[in-house]
Amino acid sequence: MLMPMSTSAPTTLADLTRRSGLDVLDHLEREVAIPVVDGLQAQGDLIVVPYAFVARAVTPTAGNWREVPAAGVELLRSAAGGNPHTLVADPGTCRWTRHVRDTMGLAIAMIETSAVAYLIHPEHGGTGIAPGRYVVRRQRERDTERIGRFGNLGNRMIAD
Amino acid sequence: MTPVSALSQGSHRLAVARRVSDEWRAHGLAARPADRPAAEAVVVALYRLIDAPAPEFVWAPSPTAALSIVHDDPHTFPPVHLRGANLPRYPDGWSPAARLANRVQDVRRNLDRAVGHGVSRGSWWRPLDIPADRALVTGVPVPAIIDMVVGDALYTTLHNCVRALIRAELMPTTGGTDGMTWYGQHDAHWIGHYDVFARAGLADYRRPDAELLALLAELARSTGWWWPGEGRCVMSERPTEVHTEPLPNALNGEVRLHRDDGPAVRFADDTRIHVLHGTHVPTWVMTDPSVERIHAERNIEVRRTVIERIGWDTYIAQARLRHIAAAGDPGNPGSELHLYDVPRELWRRPARLLLVVNGSVEPDGSHRRYGLSVPAHFDDPVAAAGWTYGLSGEHYARLVRRT
Repeated sequence: MLMPMSTSAPTTLADLTRRSGLDVLDHLEREVAIPVVDGLQAQGDLIVVPYAFVARAVTPTAGNWREVPAAGVELLRSAAGGNPHTLVADPGTCRWTRHVRDTMGLAIAMIETSAVAYLIHPEHGGTGIAPGRYVVRRQRERDTERIGRFGNLGNRMIAD
Repeated sequence: MTPVSALSQGSHRLAVARRVSDEWRAHGLAARPADRPAAEAVVVALYRLIDAPAPEFVWAPSPTAALSIVHDDPHTFPPVHLRGANLPRYPDGWSPAARLANRVQDVRRNLDRAVGHGVSRGSWWRPLDIPADRALVTGVPVPAIIDMVVGDALYTTLHNCVRALIRAELMPTTGGTDGMTWYGQHDAHWIGHYDVFARAGLADYRRPDAELLALLAELARSTGWWWPGEGRCVMSERPTEVHTEPLPNALNGEVRLHRDDGPAVRFADDTRIHVLHGTHVPTWVMTDPSVERIHAERNIEVRRTVIERIGWDTYIAQARLRHIAAAGDPGNPGSELHLYDVPRELWRRPARLLLVVNGSVEPDGSHRRYGLSVPAHFDDPVAAAGWTYGLSGEHYARLVRRT
């Protein structure tokens, strides 16, 4: 569900770019408040999944949790080299780890945040993640060339 | 507040930086024959710097042609391993390419010290793009603005949008070695960075460093890629054609490769590189955009680019996709998911294709569409979309937002 707006002014894309030093493309509406979502949300080929949805499939494997620095952490970027998906948060409010086991093999990170964190992308803009625990997964598609080990079709990550 | 005198000095320096940066961009994009005497003279001077005798020069019409000469002569162009146990302990035993790289690396360290920082792009994110004049009045230090206006902009254009694509086309990563490639005009982004700091009066270089920089600058103004070998140097001509368009929302003159009706880059021997709006595409995209080839392509940006070129409706008709079902895309208001059955002969097995729409809007107001292959057993577009993220249809239906 969408979170109710807090009493202070909502964060806009312009605020976020100022705060993080990350920029997004100019045609995205900068002054519109960024919705904060506590449920399932997707940004291009990434999806942020509330942990409860996938608790049986995904487990953190080690204690390698790290704090998200003010400049953010890059979760994924395209092959062309540009356009990363970056997670930003106020210092001390959000931690993350890449060490996750996912029976689907799609998880690239787990996030635990006590305040609103943001996922920002130069083309897709920004989106707010409400406090909570989430799994970040990549998108896949069916591989049209390769036959898997058991004669079935394999899958592959979305490549761009 | 910034004092007025500092402001006017700053804006003067910025004007110089812009002008010099424009010159370097033009050199990087130049499509005219190399100035061979100038280039050879510089290389001879560089060999002299590393105490090597002047090499024999072999000119090739393109990097492709040059590389085949390099590959055919592993003795002159030995594999370069600049790290590890197989490197001779003393530089005297190194190949000219390694000695030269070593020397240039040392000089760059000195230049960085004189500038006060390296080419600042170590970060993965782009610095906040604001117009330089506004940055100046808000008190952003001039060197930081110059990094943005010159270093980052030249890097984006010449390294990311031009050199990377040419390399991807001409030097596939086969695991082999190509000796060591120097990029001539496409080294202009880092040479330009140091040049601008000196010419804007913001850095003073030691004489030997300035001399080496001047040599490399002369080379970037006069030729294409080159490969220094033992007694022999292979030089490539510059392209004969380079077609670009402005990068969307560029503030500092950044451009990317693009040409609709032919190769974006062409060399005299007809080596071609096809690029559509910055996306490097295989030749078949331009010449024979058949459905079979689209479906065999792994890169979804290439697939999207070629389908947009022929039109989604045309593609769906040509591929004889049979519409199975449509459903609203949860979290992406106004957009629909469409599931199609793909004729068995296309992939020689049952398959379905899910057409999805981007949540975010393009500069022209449109939304990009992508086609994803999904397992053939899906009849419900929402369940198929969920599968692409490893989720059930019930879970995916709860998608709150897509950006």
